[in-house]
Amino acid sequence: MRIGDAKQSYEADEAIWTSSTQKFWFAVFLLVLAVFPFVADAYLLYIGCLVGIAVISTTGLNILTGFTGLISLGQAGFMGVGGYTVAWFSLHTALPFPLTLLLAGLLTAAVGILVGLPSLRVKGLYLAIATLAASVFLHFIFAEWQAVTGGMGGLSLPPAHLFGLTFQSDFEMYFIIVPLAVVMVLAAKNVFRTRTGRAFIAIRDRDISAEILGINLLRYKLMSFALSSFYAGVAGGLFAYFYRVVTPESFPLSLSIFYLAAVIVGGMGNLLGGILGAAFMTLIPEMLNLLTATLTPFYPNAPVFMSPMLGIIFGALIVGFLIFEPNGLGEIWQRVRRFFRLWPFRN
Amino acid sequence: MDWLFFGEISLAGLAMGGLYGLIGLGFVIIYKATRVINFAIGEIMMFAAYLFLAFAGGMEMSPWVALPLAVLGGSVLGGVIEKVMIRPMLGESSISVVMVTIGLASILVGLVELGWGADPQLLPEFLPRKPVFLGELYLAPKIAYGFLIGATLLLVYLLYFRFSRGGVALRATASDQAAAYSMGINVRRVFNLAWVFGSLAASLAGVLVAATGGLSPQFGAVGLSVLVVVIVGGLDSILGALIAGLFIGWLETVAGAYLGGQYRMPATFAVLAVILVLRPYGLFGTHEIERV
Amino acid sequence: MFKRFLTRGLRLAGIGSVAAALMTAAPVLAQDKEPIVFGGSIPLSGVFAFAGVHIHAGLTDYTNWINSQGGINGHPVRYVMEDTGYEVDRSVAAFKKITGSNRVPVYYGDSTGFMKTIASELNSRGTTLMSGASFATALTDNQTYPYQFIPGPNYTQMFGIILEYIAMQGQEGDKPTVAFVYSDTEFGKDPIENGKAKAAEMGIKVVEEIVTKPGSVDVSAEVLKLRRARPDYVVFHGYILSPINEFMVQMRQMGLDTQFMGTFWSSDKLIIDRMGADADGYMGVMPYNYYDSAEGGPMLEALRSQAQKSDPDAGYRPTAYMQGWFNAMVWTEVVKRTLDAGKELTGDNLAASLASIQDWDTGGIIGVPVTVRDMSFPVGRIWRVNAKEASYEPVSDWIHLN
Repeated sequence: MRIGDAKQSYEADEAIWTSSTQKFWFAVFLLVLAVFPFVADAYLLYIGCLVGIAVISTTGLNILTGFTGLISLGQAGFMGVGGYTVAWFSLHTALPFPLTLLLAGLLTAAVGILVGLPSLRVKGLYLAIATLAASVFLHFIFAEWQAVTGGMGGLSLPPAHLFGLTFQSDFEMYFIIVPLAVVMVLAAKNVFRTRTGRAFIAIRDRDISAEILGINLLRYKLMSFALSSFYAGVAGGLFAYFYRVVTPESFPLSLSIFYLAAVIVGGMGNLLGGILGAAFMTLIPEMLNLLTATLTPFYPNAPVFMSPMLGIIFGALIVGFLIFEPNGLGEIWQRVRRFFRLWPFRN
Repeated sequence: MDWLFFGEISLAGLAMGGLYGLIGLGFVIIYKATRVINFAIGEIMMFAAYLFLAFAGGMEMSPWVALPLAVLGGSVLGGVIEKVMIRPMLGESSISVVMVTIGLASILVGLVELGWGADPQLLPEFLPRKPVFLGELYLAPKIAYGFLIGATLLLVYLLYFRFSRGGVALRATASDQAAAYSMGINVRRVFNLAWVFGSLAASLAGVLVAATGGLSPQFGAVGLSVLVVVIVGGLDSILGALIAGLFIGWLETVAGAYLGGQYRMPATFAVLAVILVLRPYGLFGTHEIERV
Repeated sequence: MFKRFLTRGLRLAGIGSVAAALMTAAPVLAQDKEPIVFGGSIPLSGVFAFAGVHIHAGLTDYTNWINSQGGINGHPVRYVMEDTGYEVDRSVAAFKKITGSNRVPVYYGDSTGFMKTIASELNSRGTTLMSGASFATALTDNQTYPYQFIPGPNYTQMFGIILEYIAMQGQEGDKPTVAFVYSDTEFGKDPIENGKAKAAEMGIKVVEEIVTKPGSVDVSAEVLKLRRARPDYVVFHGYILSPINEFMVQMRQMGLDTQFMGTFWSSDKLIIDRMGADADGYMGVMPYNYYDSAEGGPMLEALRSQAQKSDPDAGYRPTAYMQGWFNAMVWTEVVKRTLDAGKELTGDNLAASLASIQDWDTGGIIGVPVTVRDMSFPVGRIWRVNAKEASYEPVSDWIHLN
């Protein structure tokens, strides 16, 4: 807590922005996001869109795993449901993208509730395995339900559209993905200022105590599943619009692990951390590529030994953060902020 | 219905299931002693198989020297993992520990790619090639002999845990850590040994499975089938792992043969889903799962 | 932008001049015409790395060779690539990066997934013609993929060539039977439906169809199924190595005299190197002459001497190397035709030049003159493994599908 920052009411204590400085920086951040597509080149724009999608999906997983304490290995499968929903509605109806994305989110939420039902009986690791089973079944459905999913070849879909406008290039998609990401993260932030969000956290911290406090565990667990899957579905839908093709191989198990890693590296139960984690994990392969390209003139073999490094770095980050920095990048961010706030009085 | 065909398919499935049982055993030993679900077990198997490749293929040792060396290497790896990655996580939530093993899996895949490249590999042949017939029933020699070797180790393990001092210490730790500690059992050492023994079983199975199916950095996916085995059998039941191993191996093969290869995973995961809903602690596991 | 970034970084390190020299390390002759860029998403790592490194070598060597020949109509060629790990999102990133900082008329795509994903972007840009590692049947659909071609027969056509060969082996009125064994992937399922239709049309009976996971799996039960079905030929598709070896070994242990055949990516030396004597008699369909085959031709000789020059110790060069080289050869031909016609290097013009290729002499890379049909080169030949010589030997004539 800062000096001279005493809260007078619960509302003030729960406010998203507690000071005008914060508001100022948030406005600057939004401005940067808005200007970015006009100055960035095609490559950075593409990466920007990827990060946006990853932020939405990571935020969704963070709600479930970080805030409610339910681990899920089904995130990729859920995204697949969203992706196929958007693809199907784009191919068979003329619905504009806000509606298809909403439908994708809702349908995925329904699937999420279905998968979450075993949480009535099991928890913790068993639940993780239930979600793993769900992702196996979903993959099977994507691959085999020829009539709806197009089988192994998948579906190609037309671009997103609204009021006669089509959104095709990365530049155009950016203006769907990034605003949506901002809105959805803020929405998640708001959830945790309500009873529902606090119930999630109570369940995570100690489910028995939560039940005694009058929280209906099954209801709130399923709600968390639904909310988290909704985010995954929207992210998957954006993925479909962004690449304009969905196949069963677009949503492998490794993608689920990627998002879990993003949540862990970012910081479980920390929305800002989740954003940092999503961006960081998306950028790692690109940074490594840059390093490889820098080394290649000197060591022509660089790509051959640099590429396996990706897997090693990926794993080492997960393990390293869990052992040494369990609160993730979010915590590091706080530390940096604290440093600058107190600088130069304390160092 | 062609019963001979069904018999042969079943036999092949059961032989594979025996290997699943062995891997499941490795999994259960680790879980019983340390309560860690090891998602990296497939990658530990893979690592041992690559060691075998290096010893028998690269250094041209006799396979019968290379096999124990590779298994030893895999066990040492297990011990090191416990010391370096699992012990610091003592007392953390089980989810965090699971995530550590997932991260570990990724590291091991990277290391293998670094050392041996991403190309698919075949292990040097070391099992007899003469077809095996059980009465009328044909059984591929590799899986027949693989099953025999695996079963031998299984038997040794069962006897060891039943009668040896180390085995008793392990079981004591599994049933009550505090009591075991107060009786003078070095619980830390038991933790480490559990990882060593668990990895040993997995390593042997890894070499045997790779000998029949080939080897590549994606080999670790076998671990998914094993996950099904241990959940169905019960995470802390050695008997459960063996029976479920045989059953899952059989089911996978029969589903693959009659319905098509794409049904192998869904068939076993369907069993898993039913078990999770009806009997989450598994067929033979201890009924101690908290349900809230 | 990437290049700029890289150069800047190195300059900061105080070795700017070295970097500048390295950036243009390709032996470009003193030409002042604008360079033509060959772009590439190359899988130097990941599951496809076994081919990727050789594709890269083939493209690099071809670039050096064509530059030593004076480039394309005096334009030097520059080959710009990025590693993708065989992952679609990284492949797309590489494409954006490379096309963002260069004008790229031709591009190498590393997977079917990537080529399908990039199609919408490719179509709206209309600047680039693409081919690559994929022989997917879907990509020969000119409506959806007007700027993508296949540097050989597509998988369906490969099955067609294999079936033609099988039909030729039968006695009068007694066609051999086949079984298809394929992986449960997009790659594996690609030609199966068309292959079955084609077989039915030719009167060849498909007696068994087996789907497996790719890679490390136990296939004993599947072998038992084949033992019941007793096909004369087993055609594998969608694998690199495993479980082809296990099928062959186990079926021979059972005393079956089945013949085994495979498509492009499962017809390289890898099979011989890893399986040894067990590989004997395995047959593959291959549109290019093998590096060490007895065939000759000016271009094949040029390829061999360039390969020797770039890495004298490498010895044999795999089919992926030939594939990379041939891709670049087609690009050169297409660019040259477009330039000769005095047209701009746009996607449409390049595609039109490609479609105009008729009875083209590839200088021995492919043994017969080739004609482009539906954005592919539907030609190939059946080769059989001679394990003693550790090489593939031709067992059929060149089969050019119509």
